[in-house]
Amino acid sequence: MPTAKKVREEKLSEQLPRLLAAIEASGRAVSARPKDALLQSIVDAAGHIFGAAAASILLVNEQEGLLEFRVAYGASDHDLVGTRFPLDKGIAGYVVMTGQPIAISNVRQDARFNQDFAQSTGYVPTSILATPLLAGEHVIGVMEVLDKLNAASFGMQDMGLLGIFANQAALAIEQSQQMDQIRDTLVLGLKRLASADPSQPLTELLRQLQKDPGEKRGGPDVLALADAFNEISTLGEPERRACLQVLKTFADYRRSAHRLRA
Amino acid sequence: MSADPNLPAWSEQFTEEAIQQLTASGPLAKLSPEWAWGGSTGKGVRVAVVDSGVEYDHPALEDCVRGGVVVEYDEAAENYVRIEPDEQPCDYAGHGTACAGIIHSLAPQAEIYSVRVLGKDMHGRAIQFAAGLDWATEHAMQVVNLSLSTSVEEYFGLFHDLADQAYFKNVNLVSAVNNLPAPSYPSLYSSVISVAAHSGHDPFIYYYNPTPPVEFGAPGIDVDVAWNNKQYVTSTGNSFAAPHIAGIVALIRAKHPELTPFQIKTVLFACAANTRRK
Repeated sequence: MPTAKKVREEKLSEQLPRLLAAIEASGRAVSARPKDALLQSIVDAAGHIFGAAAASILLVNEQEGLLEFRVAYGASDHDLVGTRFPLDKGIAGYVVMTGQPIAISNVRQDARFNQDFAQSTGYVPTSILATPLLAGEHVIGVMEVLDKLNAASFGMQDMGLLGIFANQAALAIEQSQQMDQIRDTLVLGLKRLASADPSQPLTELLRQLQKDPGEKRGGPDVLALADAFNEISTLGEPERRACLQVLKTFADYRRSAHRLRA
Repeated sequence: MSADPNLPAWSEQFTEEAIQQLTASGPLAKLSPEWAWGGSTGKGVRVAVVDSGVEYDHPALEDCVRGGVVVEYDEAAENYVRIEPDEQPCDYAGHGTACAGIIHSLAPQAEIYSVRVLGKDMHGRAIQFAAGLDWATEHAMQVVNLSLSTSVEEYFGLFHDLADQAYFKNVNLVSAVNNLPAPSYPSLYSSVISVAAHSGHDPFIYYYNPTPPVEFGAPGIDVDVAWNNKQYVTSTGNSFAAPHIAGIVALIRAKHPELTPFQIKTVLFACAANTRRK
């Protein structure tokens, strides 16, 4: 009859390869930089390339039914960041609802435009182009550019181009969310291992991970592990398997060492 | 969904430099816009607008809305959707009202039905869309305007079947292609009439593209359209090109009820502004 502890450990050793595969799948594209810096660089690039007076990225908060300004460039200023408004308001709300990009000129006459809100930001645009950030068919946010310089409105080519930027932003958000999930899963796995033997140094790593994710030792360790595994994987299938085997053997060794002491 | 930077945006095929001169020869040369839709008002043709709903009492629609349905996502229901009648349809987004307004401006006596598949619920959109399209095909609609599409690969087969089903039931599906340079369904199937935007403003000027998938270009840039809450706005997108063609198809079907979907596509080709008839 296996003890509860033993069952726990065996589950962990089964899960480790899966966890590592997930880390591998997330790839190196996950930047160690905070995700908002990446989004900011995307919105800055879009603003410059379109010659727009302003640009911004809003993210959907489904639980609260809200859209929140995450990053902004230009005339709309950084005051916008963190501002929230209902999902069904304004042109961004329209894009969320339909999942379709839209370009509009004469925005001041537009019934969709959340006029009170725009006035409260101190900047009211005359033309706007907004496109969804999509994860599959799911709208996770909206990217918009305002007031094209030297043109009355945004055209179809602008729409296609903004779609490419939006795609980048959506990938950055998705991958950052995946990374968070993987870290959470790893924390859970380590927690199980650590709770099997509280005297082991793993508890320290776990503590670090929980205390200050992504910045102190824990975050970079997880990324370093992902990097190392990725690098080895590029050498070929036998190398990848060998790497997994080494880690698995180490996990087994830890388990047997633990058992001997018990 | 992802935009592919290597693909041109669909509407680029309808820029002034890109439009090709085509020829309709033999019997096709006899098909003219005058023959095809001259004098027609679209009377009695049933047109479904599968979209965000239609504001039935918008003044621009002049009481042409005859009813419709709402398709809602419901995990507990069979096929995950619930379809409810909607005798006095509304529109929370404005998009569907814009499409209905364009169709009505071309075919003032066509009967418009709202099939509302877009709403605040962010889940199950493609399933709602598919169920709405199925409803339209099964309820004797003759023209269905689809100014929306899905880019989710796993729905390729489902929408392909639905498009074939419509084609075999003598229903013309008029589908806006994706605004982004990425494939979307059902706009890329040969059984549908796929439409992108050109920058002209004459509602009867449309072009044929001899290198599909996107076959027709109609006005869709800075178009003045009806919107919800009895408003009007100026908008850009392939969404507003498709209903121009849907309106013309309604006119043709009213005048020539014997024509089938593939014959109508041929008539559209022969009457395109870039087709010379000789």
